[in-house]
Amino acid sequence: MKRFGLWSLLAAMSLPMLPGVQSGLDARVKLITLPVRERVEIQLDHAFATLVEEERVVPLVAGTNQVEFSWANTSIDPGTIVFRVIGFEGDVKGASGGEVNVLSVSYPPGESALVWDVHSTHSGPVRVRISYLLGGLSKSYNYRAVAEHDESTLTLSRYIRVQNFANEQYDDTQIQAGLGDKFSKPIGLNETKEVLIEKTEGVPITKTYTVDLSQFGYLDPVQKKLRVPMHYVLTNDAKHKLGGEALPDGKVRIFQKDSSGTTAFTGEDWGQFTPIDDKMKLYLGTAQDVVVKRTIERRDRTKVGGNLSHFDVVVKYEIENFKDKPVTLDIAEQINNLRAEAGFNSDRPAEWVIGDQTTFKSKPDAEESSQDRVLFHADLPARKGDKAEKVVHLLHLTFRNQF
Amino acid sequence: MKRFLVLILVLSVTLPVFARNIDLSTVPSRDTVQLTIYNAEDLTLVRETRVVTFKKGVNPLQFSWANTLIDPTSVELRFLARPDELTVLDTTYPHDKPQMLYWNVASEFSGEAKVEITYFTSGITWSADYTGITDPDEQSMRLEGFVTVTNNSGEDYENAQVRLVVGTINLVEKIEQLARRGMLQAPAAQGGYGGLADDRKRLMRREAVRGMVMEADAMFADAAAPMAAKEIIKEGLSEYFIFTIEGSETVPNQWSKRMRSFDAGEVPVKVQYRYRADEYGDQLVRMFLLTNDKGSDLGESPLPDGIVRLFRRNESGTLSYLTAQSVKYIPIGDKIELNLGVDPNVVFELIDLRVFRDNIWGTFGTNVRRQFDEPGVRIEDRGRVEGWDEHTVFAQRIRNYTGKPIDLEIRRAVDGDATFINRVDATRHDYRTVQFTTSVKPGETRDVKYEVVQRMGSNQKQNRVEIEVGDPAPVPWLE
Repeated sequence: MKRFGLWSLLAAMSLPMLPGVQSGLDARVKLITLPVRERVEIQLDHAFATLVEEERVVPLVAGTNQVEFSWANTSIDPGTIVFRVIGFEGDVKGASGGEVNVLSVSYPPGESALVWDVHSTHSGPVRVRISYLLGGLSKSYNYRAVAEHDESTLTLSRYIRVQNFANEQYDDTQIQAGLGDKFSKPIGLNETKEVLIEKTEGVPITKTYTVDLSQFGYLDPVQKKLRVPMHYVLTNDAKHKLGGEALPDGKVRIFQKDSSGTTAFTGEDWGQFTPIDDKMKLYLGTAQDVVVKRTIERRDRTKVGGNLSHFDVVVKYEIENFKDKPVTLDIAEQINNLRAEAGFNSDRPAEWVIGDQTTFKSKPDAEESSQDRVLFHADLPARKGDKAEKVVHLLHLTFRNQF
Repeated sequence: MKRFLVLILVLSVTLPVFARNIDLSTVPSRDTVQLTIYNAEDLTLVRETRVVTFKKGVNPLQFSWANTLIDPTSVELRFLARPDELTVLDTTYPHDKPQMLYWNVASEFSGEAKVEITYFTSGITWSADYTGITDPDEQSMRLEGFVTVTNNSGEDYENAQVRLVVGTINLVEKIEQLARRGMLQAPAAQGGYGGLADDRKRLMRREAVRGMVMEADAMFADAAAPMAAKEIIKEGLSEYFIFTIEGSETVPNQWSKRMRSFDAGEVPVKVQYRYRADEYGDQLVRMFLLTNDKGSDLGESPLPDGIVRLFRRNESGTLSYLTAQSVKYIPIGDKIELNLGVDPNVVFELIDLRVFRDNIWGTFGTNVRRQFDEPGVRIEDRGRVEGWDEHTVFAQRIRNYTGKPIDLEIRRAVDGDATFINRVDATRHDYRTVQFTTSVKPGETRDVKYEVVQRMGSNQKQNRVEIEVGDPAPVPWLE
């Protein structure tokens, strides 16, 4: 393979001048060695920077050595190059107390190169680590989830994809992805490598059905029927066999096992970055068997005095579950949008309380609700035969002190 | 190696020397050179010495600086030996020969004398940068400071004593402009600064490397003795600080050379998470806080402006990149604050829990209305709300997944005439900003609740936030 990018490390060892030679320039015997990479490690744990660390064994002579490092056609940030001496290799006689120091670094004009002046107290091979930030080597993550037939659990496989457009090939490189364990893979020029980081079986999932007019809109605006998206919710904690680390963002492809033992593709979504204990919500598609009709049942104004009033709004949800299984429906309202929809426009934040006509059994979900949004859960029975029971819920909000 | 800067003793008897076409001259070489490089301006003071042999009587001296960036108005000649017997009679800048001048020196003796020539040049710059490598647990770091000298002056300075000046000086004219003004009539064929042909560059580079190898060889006799990087001596001078690099350095034209200015092995690091929207944007950032003092293995000199690059040494010895950040001049004793950006393992959310209004005031005028065809009177007030208090209850939620306890400092701006009600020992950072601190254990989720009361409309009498210790109002939908 042709190598477009080549960087090299040269150690030029200068031999002592013979006594009596006045101008040693032309009489000098010069030898250049080419220390190979002994080990390379690519660190992808930073959000956007890629750090490459290579280990080489450089033969040094006692005295000052010139070690030249060059990186043609690659985008190394020279300011980030760190040269660290690990120590003498093997059994260098008397080198136990030896010292190797970098005296200075010189940058020649117009070249992607530098020259270290390295002083060594002993002659012998010295192991050094050179690290630098490299452009063109990037990473991304993706997931493959296979749900069981009953959709109670799934097998989650996490992959890292490393793309090498850095103009350099890396043979047998240790890659630290920032997630999972290190792995060792060669990665060639312009190559993309996908590696499984972790596979977790039996990850419990929650399947949710949600209505939220502001977020998901209507399925049928004339009949006021809301769109009911179905989500798989993965919780990134130990109880759900995850929680070891944050889940990075990436595409999630979801499959489901069918009765014949094969799998069917059921949808894909972009998984958001999910810290530990947070939920990754994956939208799979619209549920057509849960029908929710939403209307504004009531809006009343109670004048306090002058232009100061309280407003009562009652939202009515008529829900039918045509599935043969009971489901829980999440019903969400954005407070300011509901106030505007009921005709009370204001740029002031809404002061609201939940009114006594509300029929939901419990309070708004504490984790999912705030001053700006409320979310209630409604349990829906399964279809009986070919009849679905209609469940009606009311949400009564009083907007106080509006003007 | 070819030099552009030449001092010539012209062996002519009569003046004017520059009218002659056939001349004989000697070229006294440069003995020592000292560069004093300023980082705030493109300015370097060059001080060089040469030994010149004078004859008794008038000696014409020619000084030329083709293809360099020397300010002709700054060139000065001084006699270090026998100054009482040597006098500069006049200085001539010939109209037909740019980048050249003549001195007529009257000597009362025949013999050698050491002279010093000083001048300003542009094109030599220096900058500082720093590399910090923290321990795996980020409790302390090794911090190395570097200085990099870059020579684009057009002249090679060999074995120069290098002094670097930290500080901001005042110049009324740029040296480069002064230098170029004198070059306007230079023939194009000579090529300007930086316009060297490639083969010339290669030659210079080869020679430069050889020069450096020679320097290295000079030390070869003591090869087995440990040799540290050169020490950089720091001293204060008026409003400036001077770093003098031990020994001498060769920086060929168009080369850069980076040398270590200090190496602090154990600098204690304090990690603090900060929310300051004005400074760091609307995000919680992780900070490394260091101090430039003796207790921190630093404090030897101020730290000049420069880029700090931070790495962490992992348990396995490998490095992880953390961040790169420019820092401004840091005086001795001052703090070094390094922003590492958002930590994905700390989740920071501000949640609005409740809004309510009270203390509502209005002006009421009353209109009376009567129905025309039926008896009955309706009284309708037409008041408008003019002033009210708006209460907002917030939860500042912090989730710590780092595995270590974390300290946070949070600053929140509160506009208008406001009261900040809390139980977190908040203080006022300025008239409109509240500051409070908190700690969160590993794995803990902490909600810091507080209430902000803003007096609106005609209720607003002030424009400042006050702090009140108390419980925030209850949140009925939650409790």
